[in-house]
Amino acid sequence: MIRFENVTKTYKAGTVALRDVSLDIEKGEFVFVVGPSGSGKTTAIRLLLREEVPNAGRIWVAGRDIGALTNWRIPYLRRNIGCVFQDFRLLPNKSVFENVAFALEVIGRPKHVIASQVPQVLELVGLARKRDNLPSELSGGEQQRVAVARAFVNRPLILLADEPTGNLDPATSQGIMRLLDRINRTGTTVVVATHDAGIVDQMRRRVIELDHGMLVRDQERGVYGYGT
Amino acid sequence: MPVSIDYVSRETASNLWRNRLMTIAAILTVAVSLSLVGAALLLRQGVAHATTKWQHGVNVLVFLDSNITSTQQNSLQQELTALPYVRTCLYRSQQYDFNEARHLLPPDEAQALTVSTMPASLRCVLQDPRQAQAVFDQFHGRPGVQAVSYPSQAVRNMEQVTKILQWVFFVLAVILLLSASVLILNTIRLAIFARRREVSVMKVVGATNWFIRVPFMCEGLVQGVMGAVVAALVVFGLHWLLDDLASSNPNSVLFQMRMPVAEVVVTNLLVVLVGLVVGTVGSAFAIRRFLDA
Repeated sequence: MIRFENVTKTYKAGTVALRDVSLDIEKGEFVFVVGPSGSGKTTAIRLLLREEVPNAGRIWVAGRDIGALTNWRIPYLRRNIGCVFQDFRLLPNKSVFENVAFALEVIGRPKHVIASQVPQVLELVGLARKRDNLPSELSGGEQQRVAVARAFVNRPLILLADEPTGNLDPATSQGIMRLLDRINRTGTTVVVATHDAGIVDQMRRRVIELDHGMLVRDQERGVYGYGT
Repeated sequence: MPVSIDYVSRETASNLWRNRLMTIAAILTVAVSLSLVGAALLLRQGVAHATTKWQHGVNVLVFLDSNITSTQQNSLQQELTALPYVRTCLYRSQQYDFNEARHLLPPDEAQALTVSTMPASLRCVLQDPRQAQAVFDQFHGRPGVQAVSYPSQAVRNMEQVTKILQWVFFVLAVILLLSASVLILNTIRLAIFARRREVSVMKVVGATNWFIRVPFMCEGLVQGVMGAVVAALVVFGLHWLLDDLASSNPNSVLFQMRMPVAEVVVTNLLVVLVGLVVGTVGSAFAIRRFLDA
């Protein structure tokens, strides 16, 4: 589903964000990408969304070399990848329903599809009763659930989460992770970039560790730190 | 890139309303800038009108000897009228000229005049005042002709002045238009910058560039047209005010600058068109850097 082939990314200032990284993620996997700040996790996600292009190496998503995409095809790549961020990135003046519906509207889904899909996914994330609230009226955990709903509403092949629990307390974080786990069980490939040791240790899934842009560990059923 | 009309109109309307302060700022910017552009164009047109009117008032006067025979006088008049660049040629008797001179000159000077000292004249209005010299050359010194007078240097001077004035106003309008465009562009950019978050969300959920661009362009269009309509109303008001002022002062320059309303309408249509184009293209241009290359 996702393949990095000797990917190197250097930014203009000379910082090396990723150094010769190769990895494979199969369809339906649940993967944590861990490492301290500046280890290259966010760069990896930006590369997958093709917000950046690698200086060397190739990236394949769903059997397609995304370096070869023309600019006008990039939106179609992003429709296959749902994305959740640390800062939620909800539109503050749209209601919960509208925020989720926006993702479908943007890709040109007809009204009746929106009317049936959005309540369904809001039910899944447990926010059916808050559909008319504004994001500012929700707790952090609830806002992140809306973001997850928006990322998942068009059933993407891949769900990327960049520090999804970075702004949440441990109990709320667990709730979000359970939600991502449920989404993973529908067959969606889930990749979570995080430095939250608690959730990694609890979930016991595949762990890929980056350090200074290099892949230093790729372990099935791993934990955050070394050992075990 | 299927962008539904329903989505675009809904999005445009709600964005205009949600960002109403920015909308008002943009509309006012367009209105003020284009009012200045319109006013400059109006002035240029006024000067052009004054020039034409003034040129039509240029006369060549052929003063006749007091002992001229009526056949000589008739043939002179016919010859003058036959010239292609002469519009009309009218005979003024000694009495007529005497009356006019008394009317025009200060009383003490007019007292020295008698009917018999005034020459009769032929007054010719020219199609093209630049031909006055030709009339002079042809009729000066002819039997029965006392003198030929025309405002030679004055014509050329005045022509040059009005030509320069017209250019000045035109250049002024172009400069104002350029600065207006930059100002409008900057306002739109600010408005879009305030909403870069929204644009980034749209990108991340897979909106095509056109899908993001079209509502912004529609917004720019609405703002541009609304501002331009305000500017057009200002220009209309200005014209109405000046026209009113002119009609009460028939001797003023303003009176010479009067123009038909149809011309103001054309200028205003131009102003609205400029607002439309600057608003739409400006938005498309301003959003460019937030989209994929």
